[in-house]
Amino acid sequence: MTELQAEQAAVVPRIESQSQRSRYRDVLIALAAFAVLAILPMLTGSKALLDFVIRCSAFGLFATSLNLLVGFTGMVSFGHGMFFGLGAYGFGLIMQRSGLPVPVAFVATLVITTLIAAVIGAICVRLKEIYFAFVTLAFQMLIHSTILSWVSLTGGDQGLRGGIPRPAFFGVDLSNHVHLYITSCALLVIGLLLMRQIAQSPFGYTLRMIRDNATRASFIGIDVWRAKLTIFVLAALFASTGGIIMALFVSGAYPEFAYWTISGEGIFINMLGGVTTFLGPMVGTVLLLILNDTVTRLTEYYGIVLGIVILFFAIGLRKGLMDFVVEWYARRRDGSGE
Amino acid sequence: MTRTRKPGVSRRATLAMMSAGAVTFATPWVARAQAKTIKIGMPTILSGRVAQLGTSSRNAVMLEIEKVNAAGGLAGRQIEMVIRDSKGQPQEAARVARELVNTDGCEILIDAEASSGAFAVHEVARDLGVLCIHTNSETSALTADPKQHIPNAFRTARQGVHDSIVGGSYAAAIAKAKGLKKWATCSPDYAYGRDTTGEYVTYLKRFAPDVEIISESWPKLFQPDYTEVVTKILQAKPQALYSCLWGGDLTSYIDQANIYALFSQMEVFAVNMADYTALTVVKNLPKGIHSGNRYIKTYPATPENAAWGDAYKAKYNEYPTNWSWENATAIMLLAEASKKANSADGKKIAEALRGLKIKSPFGADGTVTMRAEDQTLVGYAIGWGTTIPQEPYVPQVQAGDWKTIFELEAEWKKSKGYT
Repeated sequence: MTELQAEQAAVVPRIESQSQRSRYRDVLIALAAFAVLAILPMLTGSKALLDFVIRCSAFGLFATSLNLLVGFTGMVSFGHGMFFGLGAYGFGLIMQRSGLPVPVAFVATLVITTLIAAVIGAICVRLKEIYFAFVTLAFQMLIHSTILSWVSLTGGDQGLRGGIPRPAFFGVDLSNHVHLYITSCALLVIGLLLMRQIAQSPFGYTLRMIRDNATRASFIGIDVWRAKLTIFVLAALFASTGGIIMALFVSGAYPEFAYWTISGEGIFINMLGGVTTFLGPMVGTVLLLILNDTVTRLTEYYGIVLGIVILFFAIGLRKGLMDFVVEWYARRRDGSGE
Repeated sequence: MTRTRKPGVSRRATLAMMSAGAVTFATPWVARAQAKTIKIGMPTILSGRVAQLGTSSRNAVMLEIEKVNAAGGLAGRQIEMVIRDSKGQPQEAARVARELVNTDGCEILIDAEASSGAFAVHEVARDLGVLCIHTNSETSALTADPKQHIPNAFRTARQGVHDSIVGGSYAAAIAKAKGLKKWATCSPDYAYGRDTTGEYVTYLKRFAPDVEIISESWPKLFQPDYTEVVTKILQAKPQALYSCLWGGDLTSYIDQANIYALFSQMEVFAVNMADYTALTVVKNLPKGIHSGNRYIKTYPATPENAAWGDAYKAKYNEYPTNWSWENATAIMLLAEASKKANSADGKKIAEALRGLKIKSPFGADGTVTMRAEDQTLVGYAIGWGTTIPQEPYVPQVQAGDWKTIFELEAEWKKSKGYT
């Protein structure tokens, strides 16, 4: 007994210092990534590249937050796109109707998302697997239909028209393309860093335990429902941020943002990039967008190409790209170590 | 914990992949020199449910571009069309439009998007200041609402409110003549269906005040089965039925309503019937359905229009659609404006477009005009007629009166707070 305690006592600080170190490393990597992204506009005049990164930020945040649910907690949500749509509509409506400063509207949108996600989550997270998937999908369709039929507020299927006004704040003018780009990159990097912290925190490990064995987790005193609800709401917040970036990019919000196809795209991105690594969905996002942009340039039979790629990943690799890369690297290193 | 994490690797790999992505995306950026050719970008819907309409837009544009290029192009510069699929998603439409201008160096945009996509492209045009012609969106607000107005965006499509005014007055005349007082409506449940039906009923009641609506049905867009809608209408026993169902929805509705002999029990007004995409697909086209003209080569009944329809048919082996004439008109107007301005510059063409009147096979009097005040097309052929089961499908079309349209449109704008 005492021996075990002593062992644990020795282990705890080691883990802590390790996590401390990895946290610093994460922050450094985030800063470096942001620096690289920030100097991009000076290196290239390509507006298409900046557009690409802005879209990557929107979908990257969305897909990574979905992975917090799918990969880390084992909750396969088919309705995550509703929070993407909520972010876009919430932000767009607040900016169009109230004329509040951008940061206030941003925070207000996140508050609204929190409230709605908490209500929806409270109902959904009790359910397991396919039931959870279907009820989230049902809520998504509910929100989508609400957007379609509440014409006086949302503009129905025409979406929010007339552009989103964006008064300058703290010297940031979001109608300037480069400013919008830098802001999106900052949101992406901060968002990824926060999600990384969540994933690496004790809470993150609790989630993994729930994923692997929820019964066991509840037997050692974890309130599974509360943990699941918390991550459901947190993931919704990051998805909503992705929606805000998208609303700024297209200067509007459209019902398609809250449609199930967006959720489907999120799941597909996760399949493509891999759900076992933190950066998998980000890689998946970049891959999917490159694929999308190049294929639509070349052919209108986009669906066929995408279908073949899905088949390749699902049947050929049987895992996401990052999973594959990580395993391949591990195998190679172990091989050479012997 | 069975998972093995090797964080260092994944990050390096990611960075490598990201930079690879960056390189791929930076390369298409080729210097946009003042080339001899002028590129015109066109986002449209080439996949999914309305792909047929997107394709017919592209066909019409290519048909006209050939003529313009053969005649020397835009101010001496040959036109090169860059046409991309937006899959009907607004965010893709916005992206494709931006890419066409920023990367491919297109100097003019033909926005062949429907509804929400058109508004997304409109924002791109606002942002980039590029000359943009909306060819397919019939939503009145796109040009009628002064908040939407930007000097570089035009529309060459018909407009919802024009349709409703003409449709309402035509129906009212028949309602009075035949004593049709009890009406039912059946339209798709989304903004276009609700708005168009609302406006139509408003004008119908205005011209025939004793009309009353006794039943309303709102089937979902792309609904496969209309049995309950059909039986609901039959039970209400109206004397007339209005519908703005379109495309595949309209044809399946008619096929299913035929089983219940609905068309022999009431007068039917279906604004989107007289389009070849619907006329040629319905199995047993009932005689006597009232319809607005979409595109039909017999109306306007001029040799120019018939020749245009036949040329299109000869080239693509199918008849043009409503979207075809709207897109063809955009190219015709561009060519004329460029000739007038003697330039291919977007700003100068825009200047020349305002108020420009050109000869057109689709004009009510042989001409169409780009109205200067709201930069939308007026004077196009608009009218209603009744169907017969074989070609020419709608033999007699009764023309709408543009004077009435203008008066009522001005009134409508005032009521909406647009003027």
